[in-house]
Amino acid sequence: MAAETAKQFEALESQAQRLMASFIKAGHEAVAPAIIQPASVFLDVIGETLRARTYVFTDPDGDELCLRPDLTVPTCRLHMERNEDPATKARYCYNGPAFRFQPAGSTSAHPREFRQAGIEAFGNLDREKAEAQTVVTLIEAMKSAGLNGWKLRIGDLGLFRALLEAAEMPSRWRRRLMHQFWRPQAFRTELKRLTMLATEVPRDVPKELLSSLDPERPADAEKAIARYMDERRIEPQGTRSLADITENLLSIVEDSRTQPLSADTANLLTCYIGVVAPARAAGARIKDILRDKNLDIGPALDAYHRRLQMLADAGIDVIRADFEAEFGRSLEYYTGFVFEIVAPELGAQSPIAGGGRYDTLMRQCGAESDVAAVGGAIHTERLLAAIAGGV
Amino acid sequence: MATAVEKLVLAVPSKGRLMEQTAEVFAKAGLELRKVGNVRGYRGEVVGLPAVEVAFVSASEIARYLKTGRAHIGITGEDLIREQISDWETRVEMLKPLGFGFADVVVAVPQFWIDVREIADLDEISPAFREQHGRWFRVATKYMNLTRRFLSSRGLTDFRIVESLGATEGTPAAGTADFIVDITTTGETLRANGLKILDDGVILKSQANLIASRVAPWTPRIREAENEILARLGV
Repeated sequence: MAAETAKQFEALESQAQRLMASFIKAGHEAVAPAIIQPASVFLDVIGETLRARTYVFTDPDGDELCLRPDLTVPTCRLHMERNEDPATKARYCYNGPAFRFQPAGSTSAHPREFRQAGIEAFGNLDREKAEAQTVVTLIEAMKSAGLNGWKLRIGDLGLFRALLEAAEMPSRWRRRLMHQFWRPQAFRTELKRLTMLATEVPRDVPKELLSSLDPERPADAEKAIARYMDERRIEPQGTRSLADITENLLSIVEDSRTQPLSADTANLLTCYIGVVAPARAAGARIKDILRDKNLDIGPALDAYHRRLQMLADAGIDVIRADFEAEFGRSLEYYTGFVFEIVAPELGAQSPIAGGGRYDTLMRQCGAESDVAAVGGAIHTERLLAAIAGGV
Repeated sequence: MATAVEKLVLAVPSKGRLMEQTAEVFAKAGLELRKVGNVRGYRGEVVGLPAVEVAFVSASEIARYLKTGRAHIGITGEDLIREQISDWETRVEMLKPLGFGFADVVVAVPQFWIDVREIADLDEISPAFREQHGRWFRVATKYMNLTRRFLSSRGLTDFRIVESLGATEGTPAAGTADFIVDITTTGETLRANGLKILDDGVILKSQANLIASRVAPWTPRIREAENEILARLGV
């Protein structure tokens, strides 16, 4: 377990001081967000999968609280408390405990209580620059603590989004594919479903009613559905309104009247998802897939190359970086560039640091609109183990 | 605490139909359960089996007794075992379904949701729901673990569980949850509350079971007492 012996406590403390000194030198302000957080923010933002790993409890007032499972959301909340305008530029750093239930039992590589040292940058609109800086600052800090060998894994949801935008399909299909991106199997199922829309699943709605609905006339459709419910004595109940249900039924109708997704496009998306390449070769590989397809994702590819170039210019050995199109699937609040830093001593299952861009998180925490945000955190016990030559 | 004479601890439901039906099943097998001392007490014996001590506890407490090894064998619902013991297969062994205490653990949504029949439909509408309501679905249940495992295994991960300790079937109408996971025997209560069970929404068909703890302090004398009970119950 973390900091179990006085010796490791001291080692972690002195390592943390070096990391923090390095972050502060890079221009980050040290903050200490609250350890106990309102549970609802985490549960509504990150969903039930993380709840299974979060220590949630009820205090004597009946409020649902949790021990923070990471420091990113607490830092966003701290930033919003400090600034009336959440888009205010700021750069923070922190070092402190985070808590996660480990279903397979708490081990030294996967402890239930661990310390994260990390950085977050808000409001910087030069996105690639802020992303490159994040990676550089984390690697520099870890070097200052004694790390030698490392590998960088990167992914880029911006590329996938651009590809979806460029491919011909209704926007609700894009939304669905984006939604399923995190779950490889569900993604493949959805893709397959969109290529053969003719076979529709049965619903509690007679075919005659469905076929009478006209997506061009939603008000009439709503009336027809209301009439159907009245006849059946189905009373309005619950959180979804008649309009919500009508909208969904209309999109089902639209799907049944739309040309299915072309096998070509489905194939293209599948090929893209499969791209695994050294970071410097990945751009060319993706261009290769798009050849003769008449799809333009130029700006997203330019951003990818620009970021990589800035990493190289800052002295990062980009030969040690690998790109995986699928990477980032388990980290649902990220919206663009994602990365993990792996030490050979610990392997890919226990990355020593990770992070990425999460432009929607501030809004999910209560801001009125999205705020450019990128950050990353070091798993300090793992870093210590990696520097010591493995567990 | 070491007792002078080691005894098999048999945990039996302390109240309601579950207690009555347990006593009936045991009586038919020639095992008479009797409370000792105070009639309202929580300890008892099996007539003629001095090596057995009976603990009368609530059905959900029995799952905890078996999980920690405080009882050697017990009678409780399969639903409670699966809900309360995350690694139940390593901690307990289901010896025999007893033919009473039937309850299905099901996913139920408002009948008003005529566009939803399966879990996959819920997943399909969840992004739009989130856009309109600014949050994920809320699921009311007292079966937090069963719900999380079942829905995740069906690919639905964008939801939040709201713990409900009673009248779960009323939460969608009250607006505190969007849909529920609850137990039902006939489905009548659900229907009366304007809810319907999803086609693929049966999580578990549960009934009362005779269950042994794998982690209790078993000794040869206690095994012997167990064998006697199992033999009479025809396990």
